[in-house]
Amino acid sequence: MPKMPWHPASGTGIVTAENAKKVIRLARYGCTNRPFFHIVVMESFKEVRAPPIEQVGTFDEVVNERNEKLVSLNFERIQYWIANGAQMSKPVAELLGLSGFFPIHPRSYMLAWRNRQAADAEAAAAAAAAATAESAKQETEAKDS
Amino acid sequence: MHVWTLYAFLRVKAYCTGKLGKMACTGIRVARVLKNNTFFSNLSGLLLNPSRNTAVLIKYRVFSSRPSETENDRDPAPLFFNKEVQDLLKTLTKVDLKRVYRHRKDGEKLEPPVYKFMTDDDLEAALNEAKAKADLRLQMPPVVKKINDTPNILSNDHALQKHDTAKFVFTDITYGISNVDRFIVVRDPDGILRSADARERHRMNQIYFPLEGREVDAPKLFQEEYLMDLLEREEYEFILDLACVQFEPNDPEYHRVTETVYSYVNNMKHFNYLRSTRHFGPLAFHLAWKGNIDNLILENIQTSRLDDAVLLIQLYHKIHPTAKSAETKFEGDELKFIQSFVDNDSNNRNTLDLAIKSYVNLENAKLEVNEGIKRAHGSD
Repeated sequence: MPKMPWHPASGTGIVTAENAKKVIRLARYGCTNRPFFHIVVMESFKEVRAPPIEQVGTFDEVVNERNEKLVSLNFERIQYWIANGAQMSKPVAELLGLSGFFPIHPRSYMLAWRNRQAADAEAAAAAAAAATAESAKQETEAKDS
Repeated sequence: MHVWTLYAFLRVKAYCTGKLGKMACTGIRVARVLKNNTFFSNLSGLLLNPSRNTAVLIKYRVFSSRPSETENDRDPAPLFFNKEVQDLLKTLTKVDLKRVYRHRKDGEKLEPPVYKFMTDDDLEAALNEAKAKADLRLQMPPVVKKINDTPNILSNDHALQKHDTAKFVFTDITYGISNVDRFIVVRDPDGILRSADARERHRMNQIYFPLEGREVDAPKLFQEEYLMDLLEREEYEFILDLACVQFEPNDPEYHRVTETVYSYVNNMKHFNYLRSTRHFGPLAFHLAWKGNIDNLILENIQTSRLDDAVLLIQLYHKIHPTAKSAETKFEGDELKFIQSFVDNDSNNRNTLDLAIKSYVNLENAKLEVNEGIKRAHGSD
């Protein structure tokens, strides 16, 4: 049984510092080796696992058996908090970008570009390895004959 | 595609010049005028009048084994929710309070019965209350078209290709939005942002807003091999009830399961298993929709339910207003009305004719016996 927080998952609704900067961010509420994130609104100076003002969504980054990562977002409340001047952490901004709510975050483009580069490099390396293996085989065949 | 058949060679002024559009299937079946060489190549020899090389008039569905009114593109919902059709279906269900309120093995705790002394008025009030409750219990699951499951592509960002190896499924969990209206979108690994398809929507709705009794993955009993086993054990009501809980009525899976059960019940003539349950209306509607009510009519005649047979034929006429027997109206003579259907629209005419004959013979024999009894008692 994971250690459960004492506050309700939906958030406390208590704003302790009225003028403090609010931030919408991921808070890790999974257990060991099983990350699961709540998307919460809280004052930015607070600890991540402190009781949040409000929970506005969840993010399950572990892929399910259908190769999906599940995100739920309460867009109505997210709009409300953005209108009230809440900031956004980068991972949340990326998620909102992928969902089509925000413009795509530059980090998503960077990640995609790097993944493509890596895939291309891997493909090129595999092709080169195959070519060398082929030539080596031909050489041995030529020697045998 | 409709079966296009040749009706007559007629010289008509050709007004149809281009493509063969989708045809409205209402009213008279005189269909379409085709200009030279504008129709299907495999039928052109048939359709062209060779002697005059002119257009021909087409009447469709004449030799079709299945009327086009039951094609997949027609939506049964407006007909099913039509008030007259609903009344017909409710009457066909034949509410039997004993059957509606029987004990069912669905895990509900049994209460011991309460016996009361009542005046006639109290009894009538209690009965009326029970009838109103039975009406709620017998509310029919809707018969609607299968959902059109083509995902709507919202954005296609090539620069996002390979941003991740997995799909991202985003669900809007804003309070107070119905499952049907909820925004659910998917970002594929190739950068396409699209609306979720029906299966994904069903899964996400069940994950974030679970309904009691429904599961994220459909139970295995709906798979073909297990379903046949249940059908052989005659658990029709159980399957249909569970299908109502598990699937939305526009789900293709719901259509598959219910159609399997209905056709099995129809083949085995086990209509009594579903009578006085909420599934009899949809069953009758389905059979009438498919133009396959012969077995039900046969059962009705064999069990002396002529009024039911008449209602069923009237339902058939509502769904197929172009049927040949639709011109005959019911004027009090049940056998005559049924006979006109059997003569014109039945797929299984011989059997039904025999059934009607044996019914008439049986009625005559009953009359004779009654008269004989009366004579024996000396009441004549």
